[in-house]
Amino acid sequence: MKFQIEDVTVYFPYDHIYPEQYSYMIELKRTLDAKGHCLLEMPTGTGKTIALLSLITSYSLSKPQSPMKLIYCTRTVHEMEKTLAELKILHNYQIKHLGPQARILAIGLSSRKNLCVNPTVVAAENRDSVDAGCRKLTASWVRALAEENTDVTTCEFFESYEKAASAAVLPPGVYTLQELRAFGKEKGWCPYFLARHMVQFANVVVYSYQYLLDPKVAGIISKEMQKESVVVFDEAHNIDNVCIEALSVSVRRQTLEGATRNLSRISQEIDRFKATDTSILRAEYNRLVEGLVPGGNLPITDNWLSNPALPDDILKEAVPGNIRRAEHFLHVLRRLVQYLSGRLDTENVEEESPVGFVASISSHAGIDQKTLKFCYDRLHSLMLTLEITDTDEFLHIQTICDFATLVGTYGRGFSTIIEPFDERVPHIPDPVLQLSCHDASLAIKPVFDRFQSVVITSGTLSPIDLYPRLLNFHPVVSRSFTMSLTRDCICPMVLTRGSDQLPVSTKFDMRSDPGVVRNYGKLLLEMVSVVPDGIVCFFVSYSYMDGIINTWNDSGILKEIMQHKLVFIETQEVVETTLALDNYRRACDCGRGAVFFSVARGKVAKGIDFDRHYGRLVIMIGVPFQYTLSKILLARLEYLRDTFQIKEGDFLTFDALRQAAQCVGRVIRSKADYGMMIFADKRYSRHDKRSKLPSWILSHLQDANLNLSTDMALHIAREFLKKMAQPYDKTGSSDKKTLLSQEEMEKLGDGSMHEMSY
Amino acid sequence: MASTHVTKRAKYKTTIKDPGTPGTLRMTFEKILFVPHNPKSAGKLDVEFRYIKGQKHTKEGSNKPPWLNLTNNQNGSFIFEFENYSDLQECRDFVGKVLAKGGEVSEKPTVAYPDEQLSAAEMELRIKLLQEDSELQKLHKQFVLSGVLTETEFWATRKKLLDREVSKKTKQWLGFKSAMISDIKPSTDGRTNKVTFNLTPEVILQIFAEKPAVHRAFLSYVPNKMSERTFWTKYFRAEYLHSTKNSIAAAAEAAEDEELAVFLKQDDILASEAQKKIRRVDPTLDMEADEGDDYTHLPDHGIFREGNKEMTESQNELYKRSLSQDINRHAAVVLEGRAVDVELEDTKAVAEALAQSKQKSSNKGESDGDISRERLDRLSRMTEIEDLQGPNTLPLAPLCIKDPRDYFDSQQANALRTSGDALGGIEQIKCGLSTQEVYGSLRESISSIKAMGLKEPIVKPEVAHQVFDALTNSISNTKYHIGKNPQESVLDRLPRKTKEELLHHWTSILELLKHFWASYPITTTYLYAKVNRLKDAMSNIYPQLEEIKGSVPSELRHQVSLLVRPMHQALDAAIQHYEASMQKRSAQSGERPNGYV
Repeated sequence: MKFQIEDVTVYFPYDHIYPEQYSYMIELKRTLDAKGHCLLEMPTGTGKTIALLSLITSYSLSKPQSPMKLIYCTRTVHEMEKTLAELKILHNYQIKHLGPQARILAIGLSSRKNLCVNPTVVAAENRDSVDAGCRKLTASWVRALAEENTDVTTCEFFESYEKAASAAVLPPGVYTLQELRAFGKEKGWCPYFLARHMVQFANVVVYSYQYLLDPKVAGIISKEMQKESVVVFDEAHNIDNVCIEALSVSVRRQTLEGATRNLSRISQEIDRFKATDTSILRAEYNRLVEGLVPGGNLPITDNWLSNPALPDDILKEAVPGNIRRAEHFLHVLRRLVQYLSGRLDTENVEEESPVGFVASISSHAGIDQKTLKFCYDRLHSLMLTLEITDTDEFLHIQTICDFATLVGTYGRGFSTIIEPFDERVPHIPDPVLQLSCHDASLAIKPVFDRFQSVVITSGTLSPIDLYPRLLNFHPVVSRSFTMSLTRDCICPMVLTRGSDQLPVSTKFDMRSDPGVVRNYGKLLLEMVSVVPDGIVCFFVSYSYMDGIINTWNDSGILKEIMQHKLVFIETQEVVETTLALDNYRRACDCGRGAVFFSVARGKVAKGIDFDRHYGRLVIMIGVPFQYTLSKILLARLEYLRDTFQIKEGDFLTFDALRQAAQCVGRVIRSKADYGMMIFADKRYSRHDKRSKLPSWILSHLQDANLNLSTDMALHIAREFLKKMAQPYDKTGSSDKKTLLSQEEMEKLGDGSMHEMSY
Repeated sequence: MASTHVTKRAKYKTTIKDPGTPGTLRMTFEKILFVPHNPKSAGKLDVEFRYIKGQKHTKEGSNKPPWLNLTNNQNGSFIFEFENYSDLQECRDFVGKVLAKGGEVSEKPTVAYPDEQLSAAEMELRIKLLQEDSELQKLHKQFVLSGVLTETEFWATRKKLLDREVSKKTKQWLGFKSAMISDIKPSTDGRTNKVTFNLTPEVILQIFAEKPAVHRAFLSYVPNKMSERTFWTKYFRAEYLHSTKNSIAAAAEAAEDEELAVFLKQDDILASEAQKKIRRVDPTLDMEADEGDDYTHLPDHGIFREGNKEMTESQNELYKRSLSQDINRHAAVVLEGRAVDVELEDTKAVAEALAQSKQKSSNKGESDGDISRERLDRLSRMTEIEDLQGPNTLPLAPLCIKDPRDYFDSQQANALRTSGDALGGIEQIKCGLSTQEVYGSLRESISSIKAMGLKEPIVKPEVAHQVFDALTNSISNTKYHIGKNPQESVLDRLPRKTKEELLHHWTSILELLKHFWASYPITTTYLYAKVNRLKDAMSNIYPQLEEIKGSVPSELRHQVSLLVRPMHQALDAAIQHYEASMQKRSAQSGERPNGYV
C-alpha cells in the first residue's frame, strides 16, 4: 500500500498495516526531520523492522537531492539475513510502483568466514583461521612474490576482482549474504572485498553492531560513512552491554604463555630479516619517525583489526622513540608480559583504577603511559613489516597489546581487577586480569557525534528514561508504544507455587531443593501434554540447566516429557545448538512438537524468534539475575551509582527483567499469532520486580494470573488455547481498528486522527 | 515376482480327444480364465486356482502337441493345447509358482468376484488391504467366503479404502521410540554384581542410528575381530564408564583398550555430519555464522568472568559426552525417522541395511543449488508477516489413524480429564424432536443461507466445540465408565480371548447391520435375497454371544453382559424391523409384486 505522511509518500509492501506501525513511522519521520536521535520501544510482533525500512527508504526516495544512507545494525548475522529479506520484499514493491528510479543498492556485510567463496580458505574451522588463510593468499607481499614466482598460490577470486578494478561493482539490488556469495561465485570475484568496497556506495548497509561500536572493527570498516546517514540499532535493549564489552579485555595465564611464544617467534623473524634484508626494518623505523600511524594507506587486504581504542582518543603523533626499533619494542613487550604474569601470581582479589595500574607498570617495568598507548599500532606495524600472514597464531600478543593500549588511553570509566580464582569454584586456580569498561557511553559516543540521526529501537526498552542516561545522549523523540490487539493473543502468567502448593523459585537457597526441581519438572510435564507444537523453556544459567536436566533424567520426568514431545537442548557448542534449533523447527513444522531448553543469557535468547507454532508457550524458570558476587559487576554498579545515581538493586532488577522479557517476548510475530508466557518464580509476584516488565506484557497480565499454582496455570492454558484456536475477525471491531487497509489509511492521511492514542 | 499374470493363445479341450475350442487363456494368481474367440461357442472357463490340485504336461521332443493338463480337486481336468512349447513352459512355470504357494494360499484371503470384472491392479489392492488389516481379513473370511455377502457388496462399503490415491499415501513408516536408549536399564539378579542387558534388534538399530561410530566399529570388528557378544559387552562397559561421569577413569580405560576407546571417544562421524548439515540450516537461526562475525569476542576480549559466562572444564574433553548432546542426538534421529525397513531379526543384517541406506542418501545428496533455494524459501517464510498478507501453508504429513479405536480411547482419557475441570456436566441436549420441528428448523436455516449466503465460519465455533466435546466424551465411554477407575478400561480386565471375541462380534454385527439397513427399502428381489441372508447370519450370532457370556468367570459376567447388551439391542431392532416389513410385504404381495415397502 501507498500512503502519505506529511510530505513523504510511504511505500509499504503489504495490503494492510497496523496502526502502531503507522504511528511508529510518524515518530520516526519527526526524528529524521529534526536530524536528531530517537529512542522507540515497540512490542515484538508488530513489524518494527519493515516499518523502519519502509519509512526510511521512502523518506530518502522523496528527497532525491539529498540522498541518505541507512546503516542498519543488527545483533546477529541471522537477524541481518532476515532484515535483508524484508528489505527485498519492500524493494520489489517499490520498483513495481516507482520503476527504475526506486532502485537502491543494499548489502549485508560480514566477516570473511561468512562471505568467502574460496573453498580452500573457507574450509578452515574458525573465523581467525579463515582470516589468516585469506591473508596468506592475498597480502600485498604475497601477491608481489607471486608475480615473480609462479609456485606461490594466490586467491583466484581476489585476483580477478583486482583485475576487474573499477568495473567490479554490484548492480543495484538487495543482496543477502547468500546472494552475495552466489554473485561472487558467478562472476569469479571475491564477495568479501567486493562488499567492503561497495559499502561506500550502498544506500543501505546492514551489518552487526560491532562494525560501528567496536573500535577494532569500526576503525577499518566504518571510517568512510558520511554524516548524512541514519543509523539504526535494532533490538537495542542490550546495547549498553555491547558497548562495554567492546572496550573490555581480559588476560589469563594461557594468554601470557601464548604471548611469550609469539614474542620468541617475532624475535626469530627479526633475526631472519636482520640476516637477509635489513633495509626493510630500517624503512619501518624511518616511517615511524615521521609519525605515520599505520593503517592509513594500506592496501585493503593488509588491513588487520584496528586499534582497540576509539579514534578520537588516538594521538596523531610520532611513535615514541623507545619503541621505534623492532628489538626495543620487543623488549618492552617482554617486560610487560613478565610484569603481568607477576601480577597474576596473587592470592587476593585486587582492584585498581587504570591510572594506578599504569603508575605501577611504570615504576616496576619502566614502561610509561605513552608507550603503552602506542603498543597496538606498533605491533601492527611490526607484523606487517615482518610479513606475518598467519595472524591467527598471534592473537595472544595482540590481546596483550590491546590491553596495554586501552589501559594507557583511558583514565576513567574503567577498572582493572585481578582475581586469583573463580569464586564459584575456589579450588581451581585460574587467575585472570580484567580490564573492564563500565561506561557504555564511551563506545557509542563517536556514533552519536558522527551521524545525523541514530535510532535506537527494541521491543523492550523499559524503563525508557534509563537508556539516555546510560548512553549519555539526548533523544529528540523518546516513545514507548503499546500494542493494540484484536484479541488477547498473549497470555502472561506468574506461577509462584508448584502442584504441591509449595513456592517455587531459583533463589540461591531454594534452587537445588529437590521439591522445587520436581515442581518445575511437573509444570513442564503438564504443559507438554496440553500445549501443541513448540514449547521453549528458559533457565537462568547453563549450570542450573544441566543440573536440573540431570535430575529430571534420573527421576524419569524427562522420559515422560519425551512421550509427548521431542527434547532439544542449547549447549555451549554453537554448531550443536544451531543444529538442535534447526531440528526443533523441523519438529514443529511436521507436527511432531518439541521442547527447547535454553538459557536466559545464552546465544539463543539473544535473537532467535520463537514465533507462531515455533513457540506456543515460553516458560521462564527463575529470575535471570546476573551473578551478583562478580567483582566486575560490583565495580560497574559502583560506577553507575556514583556517576548516574542509579541504585544497585534497581539496576540488577532492571537487567534481570529485561532479559526475562526478551526471552518471553519473542513468542509473537504478528497479531494473528498467539502465545503464552509463564514466569515461574515466586519473586515475579512482587510489585517491584514485575513492574519492570515492558508495558505491553504488563497490560495483559491480569491480576488473577499473578499468583498461580501449576494446576491453575494448566487450567488457564487449556482455556486460552481453546479460545485462540477459534476463527476471528482480523481487522478488529469497528471502534478499535487493529488492522488498517488502504482506504482507511487514506482517511487517516486527512489528518483526522493524527494523534492516535497508541 | 516376475509377472502377476500370463496370457496365451490356446485351445481348451474337455477331453484329450476333443479337437478343442480356440481362445485366450489368462492366468492370474487367483484364477484361470479361458475366453473362446468365438463368443457363441460354449467352453468359457472360469476356475479359481484354489481348486486346482496339480498339473501335467507333455514333454518337448515327444511327438505330442504342447498340452497342459490341470487337475482339480473333484478329479476333473482342464486340458489346454498351446501353439508352441515355450508358451507351455511359461504357463507351466506360472502354475507351478501358484501351486507352490498353495500352503500360504489357504491362509491368504481369496477374492471371488462373480459379476464384476476387476483389473489385476484392483485385485492386488484388495488383497493388500486384506493382508494389512487382519480384522478386515477376518470379516472378509466370515462373510464373503461363507456367502453372506458378495465380494462386491463387501467392498462397496469400503470405497474409501480402495481409493488408490489414499492407499498410496497411507504407507506410514513406524518411527523410533521416544524413549532414549540410555534408558535400557540392566537387570540384576540381586546376589552377584553381574548385570544383564537385554538387547533387541530394535534397540540395536537405534544405537546404530544414534551412534554412527559404534555402527562403523560393528561393521569392521564383528565377526572377524571379536564376537558379537564381546562387542556389546565392551559397548556397555563403555556406557557404564560414561554414566559414572568419571572422565579420568574413562581416559585411563581407553588408553588400555583401543576398541573400548572407540565407544568412549567423541563420535567423529557425527562431527563431520554436523559440518555438512550446518550448511543447510535455516539462515534465520544460523548462530554459527554469527560467531564467525563476532570480533568483540576474540579470545580474551569482552568481559570474561562476568557471571553470565560460565566455565567449562577442558580436561579430558575427549572422553566427555554430556547428557544434552545425547538428548539432542536422540531427538534428531527420532525426527529423521527410520531409514531402514527390514524385518529386524539379525544384528548383522540390521547393520548392513543401515549402512546401505546411508550410502543411498549420501549419494542422493542434494546439489548446492537445491540447498540454497531451500534456505531462501525458509528465509522468506520467516520474514513475511502473516496477517498483513495471505497465508502460507506448510507441507504437513496427513494424519493417518491406523486404528480409530486406539485414538478414541486415548481421547477418552483426555476428555475425562478436561470434563473434570471444564464443564461440570454436559447439558442434556434435547433429542426428541418431532418431524415438524426438524423440518421447520431445516427450512429456516436454508432460507437464511439463501438470503445471506454462507457465513464464515458455517458452524459457530462454540457449537462445534461443544459437539466435539460431547462426541469424544461419549465415544467409547462405556468402556471406561463401567470400570472401577477411569484410567483402566473394562476390556483390559477381561481374558484376552474373550476380549478379542467381543470386539470381533461387535465389528461383525456392525458390518451386518450396515448392509442390512442399507438394503431398505427393498426394491428388487436381489435385495430381498440379501436381507434374508443377512437376517440368517444375524440370528446365528445370538447363541455365540450367549456362549461368550457363559464362558467368562462369574465375577466378570455382569460386565460382559453389559457390553453385550447394546449388541443385542441393535440386533433386536434389526430383526424386529425385518419381521414387521415381512408381514407388510406378505399383506401387500398381491398388489405389489415388486415389493415396495
